[in-house]
Amino acid sequence: MMAPETPEPAGRIVVETRGLKKTYFGKVETPVLHGIDLAIREGQFLAIQGQSGSGKSTLLNILGALDIPTEGQVQIDGVDIATLSEDQLAALRNRVVGFVFQFHYLLDELTCLENALTPVLIRKGEANAEETARVIALLERVGLGDQLHKHPDTMSGGQNQRCAIIRALANQPKIVLADEPTGNLDSRSGDEVFKMMREMNRENGVAFIMVTHDDRLAQEADSIVMIEDGWVQAVDKHEHRRKLLSSLKEE
Amino acid sequence: MNAMAWMPRKWRFEATLALRHLLTGGGQTLLTVGAVAAGVVVVVFLTSLIFGLQARLTRMLTESIPHVTVRVRDREPVPLSMLEDLNSPLSSSRIEKQAPQLKFIDAWKQAVDVIRTVPNVRMALPAVQGQGFASRGGNPIGVSLTGAEPAEQDEVSPVSQDLIAGTYVGLASDQVVIDYELAKDLSVSVGDRVRITSSAGNTESLMVAGIYSRGQGRGGAYVTLRTGQSLFGMGNSVNVILVKVYQLFGSDQVADRIESLLPYEARSWSREFGTFVSSLTAQSASAYLISTFSLIASSFAIASVLIVSVLQKSKQIGILKSMGATRSQILRVFTMEGLAIAIAGSVSGAVLGMILVYLVSLPRQATARPGHVPDQLFPVEILPVYILGAIVAAIVATLIASWFPAQRAAKMNPVDVMR
Repeated sequence: MMAPETPEPAGRIVVETRGLKKTYFGKVETPVLHGIDLAIREGQFLAIQGQSGSGKSTLLNILGALDIPTEGQVQIDGVDIATLSEDQLAALRNRVVGFVFQFHYLLDELTCLENALTPVLIRKGEANAEETARVIALLERVGLGDQLHKHPDTMSGGQNQRCAIIRALANQPKIVLADEPTGNLDSRSGDEVFKMMREMNRENGVAFIMVTHDDRLAQEADSIVMIEDGWVQAVDKHEHRRKLLSSLKEE
Repeated sequence: MNAMAWMPRKWRFEATLALRHLLTGGGQTLLTVGAVAAGVVVVVFLTSLIFGLQARLTRMLTESIPHVTVRVRDREPVPLSMLEDLNSPLSSSRIEKQAPQLKFIDAWKQAVDVIRTVPNVRMALPAVQGQGFASRGGNPIGVSLTGAEPAEQDEVSPVSQDLIAGTYVGLASDQVVIDYELAKDLSVSVGDRVRITSSAGNTESLMVAGIYSRGQGRGGAYVTLRTGQSLFGMGNSVNVILVKVYQLFGSDQVADRIESLLPYEARSWSREFGTFVSSLTAQSASAYLISTFSLIASSFAIASVLIVSVLQKSKQIGILKSMGATRSQILRVFTMEGLAIAIAGSVSGAVLGMILVYLVSLPRQATARPGHVPDQLFPVEILPVYILGAIVAAIVATLIASWFPAQRAAKMNPVDVMR
């Protein structure tokens, strides 16, 4: 329950939680998060690891203003999300947050370029020349320059996921939340997609929070936190690396 | 997205997405558009048939009769208790209706002038009407006699258009126009003479100038006003003023207005043919009812297809919401889809319906009226008001049907659908 260490120079805090608790009230009361304190700064790349069912996705949804906490405080870009209406939350997600999921969830009805522009289109109805040019430049940067007018069902999994990442960046958000972004890709495409995310993180100063099962990718992050049964624990990266190496030797 | 130039900028994304959904929807889109079109075809076809039939029946009935008939009121017998002066020669101890007799409208010229000032009156024709006999050597046959100016009579109960031989307009005072059945019974043709005896007892020998066939009634004879007056011994007077109106179903008001202005009785056709009018009303009501049911049925079809399509798109709705799409934006996407389906379906349904109506209007029936062009077998009529009404009703029904699936889509929680 301690704030994770930030090895890089401290930037402005973009997302912060204090005593965050989440309980689902179904037929039985299911507490999922027990009180989490986290702070993510500009330009930080944070990996979240944990067993399935440990509450990683719930945490990610709350950090992305898709869900609200049962108790505690969540500030996104300096705003307490508990004070916002549904439409204000939607506007916050549109402006400040980008999402990348395990499945690309691109719209088959739209082309690669239109998909990447979706957050802009949701905000304004239409993209202007400058926004279009910027998104095209990003797509070209990740090797999709010749795929602009193709539809997702004619593109490969890796291409679609790269397009989904550019979509998450289209509105120049402060933070990108990635839930197992490489989980559905083979290791080569997965590596490429991760490398790309890391580059976007470094070039644009966007904070990334990535949930991953892949220890190797987690090792590439600035810091790692572990979620176990609804509690968060900062992990010493060097310790993590040592464990990782020893497990490799055993194989 | 240039095709969206007419759309408010803020809505262009929703409109584009709605259009893409429909274009990529294939069979589903065709099914919903087809359901709307089917409903509209039923409405267009049904109203064309029923209102066409009604129009024909009404036209057949009313074109040959006056819409309002003005006469001197029959004296109604009054019970003794209602009479104040029992010594009056009018009082009687028996209730007995006076025998029908011809009663003159003495001041008919002024009466006609007054009637012409009543709104909705197209024309007022002074005439002599009564019963009589026609004979040619053999047994006399009963006839209904009308004496009026031919040109004006043609406006009230057209004779010229139903002529199968001879002429009517320009009738001389020693001439008569009789109906086909009467001519057959008397074995006369144009140029022959017949003897006409009125109920007043006067007899004239008249030459048959024309023979008409109207397909209804028998034993009609038309003479000039002058001849009519002399047959019934009326001098310069008339016993009836025949009125035609512009708005057929406004004839009751015209009759009431005439009665309030003049001391005469005015009878409207729609009161004389009360059962006919009420059967028209019942027909219209059933046409509206069937139309409503068919639109409701297509609305259910549309709603169910759209609900399935919303469920199929729940992941997409979730991702759009995670990217900041609001409830109203999602609602707009699916309502616009409904609107596009409604417009495409109702317009194609109206076109199909009109083609169907046209095809059905082609066959002719074997005529019951000698000497006339055969009538349509199905007297359909394309009525722009009802086609427009069907389009509007279908659009409203489809929008209502798409509202519920759209609401459902808008309420979806991204966290739930993307798990």
